[in-house]
Amino acid sequence: MFLADSLRAIVGDTHVLERAAELLVYESDGLPGYHRTPSLAVFPASADEALAVVRELARQGVPFVPRGAGTGLSGGALADGAVLLGLQRLKRIIDIDPVRRVARVEPGVVNVSLTRAATRHGLHYAPDPSSQTACTLGGNLAENAGGPHCLKYGVTLNHVVAAKVALPGGSVVELDADDGGYDLIGAFVGSEGCFGVALELTVKLTPNPERIVTLLADFSSIDAAAQTVSAIIAAGILPAALEMMDQATVGAVEASIYAAGYPTDAAAVLLVEVDGAAVGLDEDVQGVDRICRAHGAREVRIATEPAARARLWQGRKKAFGAMGRIAPHLVVQDAVVPRTKLPSLLARIAAIGAANGVRVCNVFHAGDGNLHPNIPYNANDGNESARVHVAMRQIMQACIDAGGTITGEHGVGLDKLPYMDALFTPDTLDGMCRLRDVFDPDRRANPGKVVPIRYCRERRPKGLMGDGRRETGEVTTATPGAAALGAAEPDA
Amino acid sequence: MTLRPSTVTELAALVAESAARHRTFRLVGCGTWLDGGAPVATGAEPLHLDAFSGVLEYEPGDLTITVGATTTIAELDAVTVAHNQWCPLSPWGGDDGSVGATIATATPGPFAHALGLPRDLILGLECVDGTGKVLRPGGKVVKNVAGFDLVRLMTGSWGTLAAITSVSLRLRARPAVDETWHVPLDDGAAARAQDTLRRSITPPIACEVTTAGLLDTATQAGLLVRIAGNAAVVAAARAEVAAFGDARRVDPSSWTEWRARKARRVPRIPSSPEVRALNDGVRRAFDPAHILNPGIMG
Ligand SMILES: Cc1cc2nc3c(=O)[nH]c(=O)nc-3n(C[C@H](O)[C@H](O)[C@H](O)COP(=O)(O)OP(=O)(O)OC[C@H]3O[C@@H](n4cnc5c(N)ncnc54)[C@H](O)[C@@H]3O)c2cc1C
Repeated sequence: MFLADSLRAIVGDTHVLERAAELLVYESDGLPGYHRTPSLAVFPASADEALAVVRELARQGVPFVPRGAGTGLSGGALADGAVLLGLQRLKRIIDIDPVRRVARVEPGVVNVSLTRAATRHGLHYAPDPSSQTACTLGGNLAENAGGPHCLKYGVTLNHVVAAKVALPGGSVVELDADDGGYDLIGAFVGSEGCFGVALELTVKLTPNPERIVTLLADFSSIDAAAQTVSAIIAAGILPAALEMMDQATVGAVEASIYAAGYPTDAAAVLLVEVDGAAVGLDEDVQGVDRICRAHGAREVRIATEPAARARLWQGRKKAFGAMGRIAPHLVVQDAVVPRTKLPSLLARIAAIGAANGVRVCNVFHAGDGNLHPNIPYNANDGNESARVHVAMRQIMQACIDAGGTITGEHGVGLDKLPYMDALFTPDTLDGMCRLRDVFDPDRRANPGKVVPIRYCRERRPKGLMGDGRRETGEVTTATPGAAALGAAEPDA
Repeated sequence: MTLRPSTVTELAALVAESAARHRTFRLVGCGTWLDGGAPVATGAEPLHLDAFSGVLEYEPGDLTITVGATTTIAELDAVTVAHNQWCPLSPWGGDDGSVGATIATATPGPFAHALGLPRDLILGLECVDGTGKVLRPGGKVVKNVAGFDLVRLMTGSWGTLAAITSVSLRLRARPAVDETWHVPLDDGAAARAQDTLRRSITPPIACEVTTAGLLDTATQAGLLVRIAGNAAVVAAARAEVAAFGDARRVDPSSWTEWRARKARRVPRIPSSPEVRALNDGVRRAFDPAHILNPGIMG
């Protein structure tokens, strides 16, 4: 039977897409600029159907790419001729245990839906990517997603307890943090769809804070705002969130339908949230207020009512969307630097932007040192595209030189492949490939992502050992570096 | 002859050459818990890692630190306390063990429940795997998703995949107020109080059901509680603790004493055959000749 037919037999006729026009939506993810066309797309309705699909793909030896909501910002969910395995129909919250404070969910559950369902128990799901109204928990798991409140509450890794996973070969494993053996659930989180398909997740729920206060401080220099970030943390205050937006971002937000009342003449604004027990919170609020003013904040607005707080947050959460108004395309970066390097790095980024004649909009998780220098541009303008690429490369290199990393939460996907060998040694990259090969020896799950293929030694089966285990031999493949790099360049 | 490589290059060369000859090793950090965990197969030669010790990088403003793996927990504490910071690793056992062994065995401590397990506190590491390759996954920054997570893989691998040579950790600022209290309670009541306090809106940073004789022979079984934060938070938490009984403020060194008594975890193999197969696959991928701590983890 042809693949499409056997998949239809599993999921039903209407849930297998093959026509070019139907596949168009699945050519990109949240990062504009990359387009890859899957051979077909299949959408199972349940974990059983998904498993049957994975097994059929294994039987026929077909590469595939798991996909949640497709909001990823690294091109991770793109399928280049592979089968796209869409999981958004698996959106059942299986159960919520308010006593143990855990929830069991299917991977297609949208992040914010879990928080909504847990509200009546006074609980919420803490990792809150800015895309939380759209992205799925399966996608969060695969990317080890973060969010503004991860400064205090931790990233996805810290909140996943267990997962039921279909390995690409078709077997099912229950990975559980409490089980013996290596930390395989830790290894699976953030594996970007390359280790298998998460069919079910068990995640922690967090009690809602008794009180939340949001502060907006505006500064007449980026440097002062960046110094304030370090000062707040050094003072021993652990805000729930500590976000920064520069003037370009504020301008974009205020000119959009998401206008939040940010001062457009400020060089930078800090959005600080403190939460927890009502008792003692005022001390932290006053502490933040004092530190901001001591570092030259012109004004500190304090919002305690939900509506006022939501308005302050709206601009931050919709900043990416607002940048869409500036130009049709957007490069999104996600580097992390040591907090104390923020002031010098932000100055360096501004200099790189100016030297290349591109406009950098910074909106980021400052408390974690997690930068998002974004560049709106017009990809149809070849000259501008070229300048944007040069600027991006220089910014990434500056972050690496400062002791940072190339991605804090968006993942490597396709977009950051070219920077992996600036960050890791060939042996480290080979080690990563060895780990992937344990989960997916045939390399059919999300092929070509995360680690440049030229660093992955080919490990061919040398035959079967007596106990049925496969013995492996190693052959180094000589993939031309330039070609592998080329594969990661946006097509636009 | 004692095996004590003094550089990562030397260690890597020794392991690489030994893999080919199936010469097996028992990795030794500070050597305080060699009989712990699980017995290593006989014939494995002690391989001492004490050359990999000391602070390699510490920028207090970043609240991160990188240390050689055989740095003791005591040294990590002393260095960070000097800057009014700390690392809540404080594993069961004591302070004379090494940071590397704490990571390798993923040994938690009393602060793990509130402030994170070793896997939550580690940011990156350097190690030499069983083939003699030097791996440097993760990094020194507090958020990082670049590449597949060899950091989590090595954390809790009991030295069966690689010898860890350095570790980067997340630190915290020390709280303004930090108090330890002991409440005498019988077992059942102590467990219930522990549960209640952990669910409190002002939860303690540590809360342990302790046995009799902990602080002195007269100390009854009960609850050892550590409350920390700003003055107002601690005042509220103190009142909550006191509600459970005859609370008495005790010296923070009580934690050291309790950590020495508490049973540590030992390596286990996964419960299902499918996960076991994956686990064995991981071992084969990083220590194919089975030369590092053979006998542990299958
Ligand atoms: C406006 C905007 C704001 C954003 N803000 C943040 C933010 O604050 N923090 C943050 O971390 N990210 C952010 N993101 C990025 C993105 O939303 C996250 O990476 C999210 O986790 C992706 O979820 P998804 O369901 O859309 O996954 P997709 O994009 O569909 O897939 C992402 C990856 O996960 C894999 N995958 C998906 N489901 C599964 C599964 N069940 N099993 C195995 N692999 C799977 C895919 O193969 C792919 O590699 C933002 C994106 C946008 C567009």
